[in-house]
Amino acid sequence: MAWAILNQRREVPEMTMNRRDFMKVSTGASGSLMLALSLPGCATIQTGYEPETGEWTPDVWLELTKKDEIFFTLARVEMGQGTYTGMTTLIAEELDVDPARIKVKFAPVAPEYRNPLFGLQLTGGSTSVASSWKPLRVAGASARQLLVMAAARVWDVSAEACVTQDGHVIHPNGIDSLRYGQLVELADREVIRGKVPLKSRSEWKYIGRQGGRLDAEAKATGKAVYGIDVELPGMVYAVMTRSPRYGGQATGFNRDEILALPGVLDAFVTDRGVAVAADSYWRARKAQNALNINWDFSSALNINNGQVFDGYRQAASEDPGEQERSDGDIDKAIENASRVVEADYEQPYLDHAAMEPMNATAWYHGNGMDVWAPTQAPDLGRIAAARHSDLSPEDVTVHTTFLGGGFGRRLTQDYIEEVAIVAYKLKVPVKLIWSREEDVRHGFWRPAMLHRMRASLNGSELTGWDHQIVGPQILDWYVRNAAPAQYPWAPKFLYSTLGKVGLMVEGIATPKDISAIEGAVGYPYQVANVSVRHTHTDPGVPITWWRSVGYSHNGFAVETFMDELAYEAGEDPLQFRRKLLVTEPRHKAVLDRAAELAGWGRPLAEGRARGIALFRSFGTYVAQVVEAGIENGEIQVYKVTCSVDCGQVVNPRIVEDQISGGILFGLSAALFGEITFKNGEVQQSNFHDYRLLRIHEVPEVVVDIVDSESEPTGVGEPGVPPVIPALGNALFALTGKRQRRLPLTA
Amino acid sequence: MALSLTVNGQQYSLDVEPDTPLLWVLRDELGLKGTKFGCGAGLCGACTVHVDGQPARSCSTPVELVDGARITTIEGLSSEGELHPLQKAWIKEGVPQCGYCQSGQIMTAAHLLANTPKPSREEIIAAMTGNLCRCGTYSRIVAAVESVVDGVGHFEPAQGGA
Repeated sequence: MAWAILNQRREVPEMTMNRRDFMKVSTGASGSLMLALSLPGCATIQTGYEPETGEWTPDVWLELTKKDEIFFTLARVEMGQGTYTGMTTLIAEELDVDPARIKVKFAPVAPEYRNPLFGLQLTGGSTSVASSWKPLRVAGASARQLLVMAAARVWDVSAEACVTQDGHVIHPNGIDSLRYGQLVELADREVIRGKVPLKSRSEWKYIGRQGGRLDAEAKATGKAVYGIDVELPGMVYAVMTRSPRYGGQATGFNRDEILALPGVLDAFVTDRGVAVAADSYWRARKAQNALNINWDFSSALNINNGQVFDGYRQAASEDPGEQERSDGDIDKAIENASRVVEADYEQPYLDHAAMEPMNATAWYHGNGMDVWAPTQAPDLGRIAAARHSDLSPEDVTVHTTFLGGGFGRRLTQDYIEEVAIVAYKLKVPVKLIWSREEDVRHGFWRPAMLHRMRASLNGSELTGWDHQIVGPQILDWYVRNAAPAQYPWAPKFLYSTLGKVGLMVEGIATPKDISAIEGAVGYPYQVANVSVRHTHTDPGVPITWWRSVGYSHNGFAVETFMDELAYEAGEDPLQFRRKLLVTEPRHKAVLDRAAELAGWGRPLAEGRARGIALFRSFGTYVAQVVEAGIENGEIQVYKVTCSVDCGQVVNPRIVEDQISGGILFGLSAALFGEITFKNGEVQQSNFHDYRLLRIHEVPEVVVDIVDSESEPTGVGEPGVPPVIPALGNALFALTGKRQRRLPLTA
Repeated sequence: MALSLTVNGQQYSLDVEPDTPLLWVLRDELGLKGTKFGCGAGLCGACTVHVDGQPARSCSTPVELVDGARITTIEGLSSEGELHPLQKAWIKEGVPQCGYCQSGQIMTAAHLLANTPKPSREEIIAAMTGNLCRCGTYSRIVAAVESVVDGVGHFEPAQGGA
């Protein structure tokens, strides 16, 4: 192949930038795993024309065949957020074919499929469309251009005079045409010189149009294959019994009794707990019920819920934290204030509760190991599997499936580690499935956080803002597999070193972890003196990314405190915000739009009140107005009105669904969400005590999308953060009682 | 223990442990993976199938209790290659996000319409309340069911579920 589009994918600045630049870049790249070190770009995907099969692979994304089939390799997993449709639409638009004609394949692990924003092949941070917006359109346009050039050569006409239409190149005479399939072999011989033009906005046929979801039929007929559906010949089933307290180790169990049970094939102690394998899932579960395990709890978590926040409050008092933003002089502002307002906000651990419980399937065979998994990070999954076998990462093949929800939980690869342990021991295909109870109790959670807020007012003017964030950082829990995944050629004995080095050089060679502070450092209101600090303290409870990550807790703290200050200043919460957004037109526009659509200020039925909140996350501006009340001692959410500016929309229906889905996700957290600990054990277990909104509890949701030609930004997560403070603010307007702790109570 | 089941019109004779939940028999013995495991406790509805025409939580239905029963799963909802009207509505309305709960949602809705061909919105919501969706597709579910009830596809964004 004479040409390659790969180079254009690395659009992320290298890490020579200073801190301020980095903050700018990473505002849109949550998760902060943006990679430090550029990696050798050794291509592993073969491109070109294959005469025997009639397949033409112009680049790592597309494959066109003589039979007019078109395959697109999807490098961002489909977990409900719509990459399957959205990314296919991008490439289809420029290739000039109906997206529904394209068959989607899930990408294998390869450097070409890394998310350029992270340097890892992971799906998260609401980055998929934003990071693919240009590369996929360029790929589609380039393939189309080669096909046009081939047709022009056949007809001996100018390529510029040819047009394309739904998989055909049309002759300048407007009559003759050639199918793409007829041209693939010839197209491979063409070479593009110079830049390939992209369609103008007015030429789009699919981008921005109301289209369906390409995966809807498979999902409405039960045919979509999720991780849990993988079936292999001779496959056995495994369950893992983990320590009831994180960090506990199994030291022994009644193995002889277990092995004697029907269908049990093996049972053994692992780093992760006691594994039982049987010839059916149910027999493995029944054997699990008969387990009698001795645990060593000497280094296990031994925490009660109250201790987490006691510890945070103590840390907040003892350690002012690292200064993450400092404008003006906060101390002077406080000193000169006519009034100082202070408040602490507490937010609990939260579970992801994806509908598909954690699971994975693995087969260790003579040529390595194959892993099938619903994972958000297949390259980390490969490291996780290699770690627990005698294999190198390149001997591990990870096959990604549809994901029954991800929400960040499937970025952590513990379930792949477990199946790899069992598969390596048994040497037959193994499927390991978690029960719901295990899924809830052995999570990696959204961290519990404390926010200590302080503000100065001079009359009704907000003169100072001091935000102290207290809690852990996610990278501390993540780097263990992430660092080796960035260096897949590194020998395995270096894995733990790589993990530690990754942490040691964080902020220098690897990027700073912004998971605790994102959304707080970007405080948008025009206040002369702003201080944002992070007191880093970690209670030892496992954590990971959770839909909207740091924005989820910072949104609640910032937008509730803004509401408190509006009341303290004697102003309407909408007007108080508006006048501090003079230089932030996109913030102001969504705020005004949401307020207008919701009828802000207009009378409501008795017993109802409105609350408002505004929050930018993942580059997307979202304002929401919640209308709520209390009936029969329960909070009732009647209506959520949302205005969103996410730049150019690729699929309006998916944007609306992601935003409204995020709103319901946030409401479940605001109303019910809480993982608590007693002596180190999680007290929740299933959907009866870790509740999610049900259909009869869902409010009317109105999503208004700003018409924009700006670069697209994320939509999977930004719906979540504002709804939590907006609901709390509505309840304050209703009751006069300010709630500073989640979940909210009636 | 030998059991007999009629699943999607086909008869099966099975030798499985009698307390095995129907879900795992369908999925792992019969290879019908469209019915999903969500909670194992009848709390989420992802495993909903029809047993003699009634919706049942297959995750907590021991197979011995349905010996001789007629069972319909998502794979058997369409007949002679024609999708069920609800499945067509689900596709047109673009209901699924992650999609994992949708087999159960459709099976619950199919039972509702089989018994109440013209349900009100309140009846739809009451019928669907046992089925959880973590992605939050509820308003599209209501819209899809209503489009079948109306006999027309209406594709305006749904105006809330309750």
